[in-house]
Amino acid sequence: MSRLEIYSPEGLRLDGRRWNELRRFESSINTHPDAADGSSYLEQGNNKIITLVTGPQEPRLRSQASFSHASVSVNLNITKFSRMERSKASHRNERRVLEMQTALVRTFEKNVMLHLYPRTSIDIQVHVLQQDGGLMSSLINGITLALIDAGIAMYDYISSVSVGLYDTTPLLDMNSLEENAMSSVTLAVVGKSEKLSLLLVEDKIPLDRFESVLAIGIAGAHRVRELMDKELRRHGQKRLANASK
Amino acid sequence: MSADIITVVKREAGLHFANDLQFESDSDVEMSESEESNEKREAGEGSIVTPGELVTDDPIWMRGHGTYFLENQTFASVAGTVSRVNRLLSVVPLRGRYSPETGDHVIGRIAEIGNRRWRVDIGAKQHAVLMLGSVNLPGGVLRRKSESDELQMRNFLKEGDLLNAEVQSLYQDGSASLHTRSLKYGKLRNGVFLQVPSALIVRSKNHTHNLPGNVTIILGVNGFVWLRKTSDVDLSSGQNTVTGKNAATLSGAGRDYKPGNTSVSITRLEEESSWEIYSDKNDHISSSSRKTITRYSNVIKALAHCEIGITETRVVAGYEASMAYENISSLIEKDNMEALGQDVLNSEKMRGNNQPAAFETRA
Amino acid sequence: MAKDIEISVSQGRFLIETLKQKVRLDGRRFDQMRDVDIELGKDRGDVMVTMGKTRVHCRISCEIAQPYEDRPFEGLFVISTETSPMAGPQFENGNNTGEDEVLCSRIIEKAVRRSGALDVEGLCIVAGSKCWAVRADVHFLNCDGGFIDASCIAVMTGLLHFKKPDVTVSGERVTVHPPEEREPVPLGVLHTPICVTFSFFNPEDTEENIKGESNNEISLIDATLSEELLRDGTLTITLNKNREVVQVSKAGGLPMDALTLMDCCHKAYNIVERLTDQVQRVIKEDEQTRNQYAAILSSENARES
Repeated sequence: MSRLEIYSPEGLRLDGRRWNELRRFESSINTHPDAADGSSYLEQGNNKIITLVTGPQEPRLRSQASFSHASVSVNLNITKFSRMERSKASHRNERRVLEMQTALVRTFEKNVMLHLYPRTSIDIQVHVLQQDGGLMSSLINGITLALIDAGIAMYDYISSVSVGLYDTTPLLDMNSLEENAMSSVTLAVVGKSEKLSLLLVEDKIPLDRFESVLAIGIAGAHRVRELMDKELRRHGQKRLANASK
Repeated sequence: MSADIITVVKREAGLHFANDLQFESDSDVEMSESEESNEKREAGEGSIVTPGELVTDDPIWMRGHGTYFLENQTFASVAGTVSRVNRLLSVVPLRGRYSPETGDHVIGRIAEIGNRRWRVDIGAKQHAVLMLGSVNLPGGVLRRKSESDELQMRNFLKEGDLLNAEVQSLYQDGSASLHTRSLKYGKLRNGVFLQVPSALIVRSKNHTHNLPGNVTIILGVNGFVWLRKTSDVDLSSGQNTVTGKNAATLSGAGRDYKPGNTSVSITRLEEESSWEIYSDKNDHISSSSRKTITRYSNVIKALAHCEIGITETRVVAGYEASMAYENISSLIEKDNMEALGQDVLNSEKMRGNNQPAAFETRA
Repeated sequence: MAKDIEISVSQGRFLIETLKQKVRLDGRRFDQMRDVDIELGKDRGDVMVTMGKTRVHCRISCEIAQPYEDRPFEGLFVISTETSPMAGPQFENGNNTGEDEVLCSRIIEKAVRRSGALDVEGLCIVAGSKCWAVRADVHFLNCDGGFIDASCIAVMTGLLHFKKPDVTVSGERVTVHPPEEREPVPLGVLHTPICVTFSFFNPEDTEENIKGESNNEISLIDATLSEELLRDGTLTITLNKNREVVQVSKAGGLPMDALTLMDCCHKAYNIVERLTDQVQRVIKEDEQTRNQYAAILSSENARES
């Protein structure tokens, strides 16, 4: 592998960010009003993700219905063209994808007020158009936005970000070059709290460094939450202005 | 290296940074001014709140939809506007599925046939139920439903059929029970279906309107809309026919409108409850009526695009404004939709006080 | 079709109620792991791990195969974690796409294989054409919770215990020496990752969990099956003795305070230290029993140097 300078002595990363800077974060909601009840389009760095939420609706199969609460399903579609090199195999039913789907379902199951929607199902479809590291965190942010757009009651935002550890420096919001070069932590934070709804660590991190990685991750996720909140309010104002015309 | 000085010390309150952690602003990610400043402020009536936001910490409020609470604090659970009615505090979501209420006039599609009941998709969270006992069947309204009726349920209404109905009651879990025990309800034919966000339809006394151009519209409260050729029943059941200022010129093939013929005798009812009301066959519809129906349909799409509340007057105003466009299909081009929406709002302003907009009066 | 095992409502309430009173049904403390019993078989790489009623068997085997084209200097290492109805009625034969099965196999995969616990470069025989393919077959014999923890111990003990036949290479010719002829060689194990699973329970309302300050959530180490069925969230931490976090997986579930999670990590480290020692002790004892006649049977003469 070519020698890339992941983190220069001057404190700059490959794409010119400093250690504690997020990537460009742009989002919009209600992008597919006819196709789904809630939808969002998210660009986090070079990650480009469309999320569609349908429901709460009558479950496809009667057996899926639960008397006490709604059931959540996530369908993750990682397109073949989402990476630099086109992948030959379809990613569906890959273990990695199944694992991500399960993790997403379990993250949002605890945050959506499922007991308000008995005997219904909430179906979430995610399409990854382009990916460049920190995919899991972008998926979580996209789903949060789409669920809110669908008007589904939830306790709080879930915002997520990935952090890497380069030698002793935590690097916030990694792109794929950085992700391949070092160990990564993905965490999802509930609202403004310090409660973690999801925490995934891959590859070795010294136990004693772990806490500082978590701290920067939580701070980063709070910032992501603010950015999402801003977009939601902007959209809400626009709608209100339209309605009162 | 800067990272070395980031340390986290453990205190009762949680994680704290020994040095202030700041995100240096990047040209891409703008720093928004910290929203902590409005943290303590209570969200006032009509202001936008987002999930997890503290709405109030005053315990006097009763918690309504869209909120949850912990001790004295009330939080929002959806993104929407705060509404305070007497002591009830709720958050009205900006978007969401239709939630049925008793008395709503809705349009639905038969999803499946079950034991003495039809399940109807009305665009709500769950399918509504239409019991065999809540429909009028051929051979008089007042008879009991027999086993043979149960066996031929599919001959009356089958999967995919559209019908309009009224919400009779709600079940515990929020799903609706419908009935069609009136002449104005029942199977739909002779027209087209379209769907708009349910929030755009305002609940009102009447949802069936005869429009200029020999078209009848049913604005289902659930956002399902049916446009059809006006039938004799529509005219005789005394729906308010729009008499806009140039309605006469618009209604090309206008039939004679007989006002006052509102009562329906029992014999008429019996007559109407024949097999014909469950017929699947369309009447002959001339190509000019088809065009009128399409024009209305596109006008409604334009109104929905502009997120303008859809009322009878606005539909008519939109229809009048749409006459400027010769080509009906050009109506759903984005620019034209927006121009049309603007026209409707402008014409409402121009009429001003002498004809208040339906939206405000009924809301 | 596998059926989900369900626990009755009253039984569930009882269990949660006892947890609120800080008592576990089997009398353990919240942060106490069940005793781990590691049994080594006659063959090398044959391990049975028992934790309470949970039994996991692991068998390591190897054969000569061709390395991947893009990695000519690396051997192959596969971990197969297939569940069968033998472990319990909730598992299906041949279908391992259930949520728990996928998570379990992915975590073991990440903990052992992707963390580089096994030195795959040491498995290379002839670069680009021949290498050892090591295979770990994990069989779940009985399920009473803690599959991940038990199978991770089983795989790691197996890898430490296993020895592959010695080979000599002359040009393209590879000779595999049977164990009678030459003493087999152990695998290169670089570190010993051990998984510890925590289960979280929320004794209060969800509102309290999300917005409250109390952090009253209960965390248990090494849940039994009934505790697993009722838990609100789970966290699996994999550590090794070098104080390295190898893998952490908290895939959703009950939101937990970051500091509580850090606490869990430190608790887990103590357990990992103890278990690593136990694994090494078992391996050492086995080595001694195998070699107890070595001195007698040896044809070597004691030489003075």
